[in-house]
Amino acid sequence: MKKYLFIAKSQIMSNMQYITNIFGGFIGFTLILIILFNLYQYLYSDPNELINGYSMHQMIWYVIITELLWSILGGSKMSKKIANDVKSGNITYNINKPYSYVGYCLASNIGDLFLKFIFYTIFGMVLGIFFVGHFPNLNIISALIVIVISFLALVISILFITSIGLVSFFIEDASPLYWLYSKFILVLGTIFPIEFFPVFMQKILIFSPIYVVSYGPARLFVNFNYVDAINIFCAQVIYIFACYALCSFIYGKGVKRINVNGG
Amino acid sequence: MAIIEVKKLSKTFKVKLKEKGLIGSLKAIIKPKYKKVEAVKNISFEIEKGEVVAFIGPNGAGKSTTIKMMTSILYPDKGSINIMGLDPTKDRKKLAYQIGTVFGQKEQLWTHLTPYDNFKFFGAIYDINPSVIEKKIDEFRELFELDEFINTPVRNLSLGQRIRCEIVASLIHEPKILFLDEPTIGLDPVVKENIRTLIKRMNKEYKTTIFLTSHDVSDIEKLCKRVIIINNGQVVLDDSMENLKYHYLNKKLVDAKMKEKINLDDEEGITILKDKGYNLKLEVDITKRSVADAIKLLDPDKIIDINISNVPLEDIISNIYKNKE
Amino acid sequence: MAAKNQIKVVLMSYKYSFMREMLNKTSFISGIVFMMLNNACMVGQWIVLFTLKADFGGYGFREIILLWGFAAGTYGVAHAFFAQAFHLSDLIVNGKLDAYLVQPKNILISVITSAIIPHALGDIIFAYVACFIYSFNIKVFLLFTLLIITGGLILTSLAAILNSLSFWLKNSDIIADTGVSAVIFFATYPDGIFHGLTKWILFTIIPVGIANYIPVRSIINCDYSLILFNILACILFIAFAFIIFYRGLKRYASGNLMSARV
Repeated sequence: MKKYLFIAKSQIMSNMQYITNIFGGFIGFTLILIILFNLYQYLYSDPNELINGYSMHQMIWYVIITELLWSILGGSKMSKKIANDVKSGNITYNINKPYSYVGYCLASNIGDLFLKFIFYTIFGMVLGIFFVGHFPNLNIISALIVIVISFLALVISILFITSIGLVSFFIEDASPLYWLYSKFILVLGTIFPIEFFPVFMQKILIFSPIYVVSYGPARLFVNFNYVDAINIFCAQVIYIFACYALCSFIYGKGVKRINVNGG
Repeated sequence: MAIIEVKKLSKTFKVKLKEKGLIGSLKAIIKPKYKKVEAVKNISFEIEKGEVVAFIGPNGAGKSTTIKMMTSILYPDKGSINIMGLDPTKDRKKLAYQIGTVFGQKEQLWTHLTPYDNFKFFGAIYDINPSVIEKKIDEFRELFELDEFINTPVRNLSLGQRIRCEIVASLIHEPKILFLDEPTIGLDPVVKENIRTLIKRMNKEYKTTIFLTSHDVSDIEKLCKRVIIINNGQVVLDDSMENLKYHYLNKKLVDAKMKEKINLDDEEGITILKDKGYNLKLEVDITKRSVADAIKLLDPDKIIDINISNVPLEDIISNIYKNKE
Repeated sequence: MAAKNQIKVVLMSYKYSFMREMLNKTSFISGIVFMMLNNACMVGQWIVLFTLKADFGGYGFREIILLWGFAAGTYGVAHAFFAQAFHLSDLIVNGKLDAYLVQPKNILISVITSAIIPHALGDIIFAYVACFIYSFNIKVFLLFTLLIITGGLILTSLAAILNSLSFWLKNSDIIADTGVSAVIFFATYPDGIFHGLTKWILFTIIPVGIANYIPVRSIINCDYSLILFNILACILFIAFAFIIFYRGLKRYASGNLMSARV
């Protein structure tokens, strides 16, 4: 475990230099929120109106959280990097190192996101206060729970993207898969809560990754209750184990393939 | 009349300084610090038509910066360049028709295409009539022996073949002057020789003026009649190859293998470079002493083997670099 | 004559770039198909929105499809034919303009036309599908074609202008990426939902109003009065891009501008 902490820490240190990029990213993030803020203002003729159980303020906070989780992740860069590692054969350097590649990937990506997580969260909260005027109803404990659950949501996303990147062992170009995944999250899990979709879709979406990577944390943030928190947390733990196993499985198969083909 | 005239050329780069760590990065955003690096300081020279000139110097001496200013890639800060009556800063396009450039490993070719297709593309860039290009390609194909790979995609060619194609591509429009920046870098000796032959042939057949930078001394020795050496952005030597050798070749190296151990000390005009008992290496300054003196000193009867040689050009050049620093 | 030769080189450059992309036919085709699917997916959010409200800023679902098609079209034109304008910053900072500077052709044109991006062709196909869904009509088709070209050229010019700032500022690729993505973000939402300062910005600093909103309105209202304005704006943007780029070129450092570490 210690070595993974070290991997994460070195990644944080090396990212210190790219702070400008994080601040640059804020502009794009703000633009998306301006668009969605305008869209919801247009949608809600009266700010106290409830649509599918959400007030306008809740909708804005909801979308701030989902957009935060998506922006912090920076998935397209991540999946490209893993795919490049596989394609260029860099990944073979990791085979005889005393750590598991999936663990390495996870640790270095968490390190990678760490600073972004802090800066983006602060920025997102400031932006939310600016648009809405007040925080949702959260006390210290529930706020901490939301942070933990958001963090786990990112861990699951990293594992998903790692597994997509690792598919490059078997197919020429895994980027279409990443596209599918990102569209799935962006269209179905970012702009609207699950309640906005037709009933038959809601049932599917609840069991999809959207529940643990975007809907869950955002829903908790705007409408906290302990039952939901426990449900989401349990689902996340299951997802983490399952995804980790999936990644290890793909990696194992992939490495064997390299050995057979001689790289 | 000179074909190239460079007068008092200077170029300074502003280099951003960056401190380590988070605080350093933040500082750099708020108040960036710059350092001025004078890459080229007040350089002047002239080159005649048909000359093959080596432009050499250690890394960071300002070679590339100068060559890039001459080919209108960089804007000079001060001074002027006149190439065939054209000013690179004002007549970039007109100049481009007159010059060819090969920049070491910076590739100008489309790697997925064959050399033939590439040559046709370059022909179009220089507004050459398609039928004229065809003839030109045929001519080059024979002259530069491209036959075996003219229809193979560039990415499948060896490095040497690629460089050959780069050079040929830069000749499509029959430039009057060819600028070569490290054309033989990374090549094996046989291929290097190949490239040198190509350059020589070009100079002979088309009377192309050649301006070449290289770290490879044999490039310079075998190709160039004139050498301009620059260091720290200034010309430290501009002379013919013969003069360079004449002035600096007044030292001979004597390597001797002896039957018995002998002990020697430095004398006027003779320096002992290495003394391992049976094996000795002496340097003789022939303006002061003759080689025969050195051999006498060693005692000719005890010599098993002896080798008398010039100081390698490489050493001469690195000595010039060092002395002028 | 010079213009004719320049066009010849550009066409040859397209042909060769196309051949390069065609080397891997699967990824060429999948790139195109996935981009079309991608756009179709994003339109999906509007299906949900229209269950909540009947119109957005005066636009019904058909108009939104047209708006999306138009946005994809301008993006597609800009990225398919002038892709390198979006990466100029990298070329400037890392000294990759050398090869173009020694050629007797217009540098900016040669650079930005030196690559094509297959998936942008998917955007263009999607654009026309959307245009036909909106209205299968020759007049709409011609107007649409003209205006996605001017819109695409404005987007390209914007990218070239912002990326050219790299001659002065090293990190300006962030500014450029943000500016370009701002246009793309806003282009897919109807201008009717914005008001006040935001709307003002969209017609000035972020030229999405000129590149997208006005043209879409022209098509919907069959209004030809603003077409001339659009063409004029397009020419101005292009001229501005050339001026900025050539100004900056004097500061080009050909990769010698590495930042030193203390």
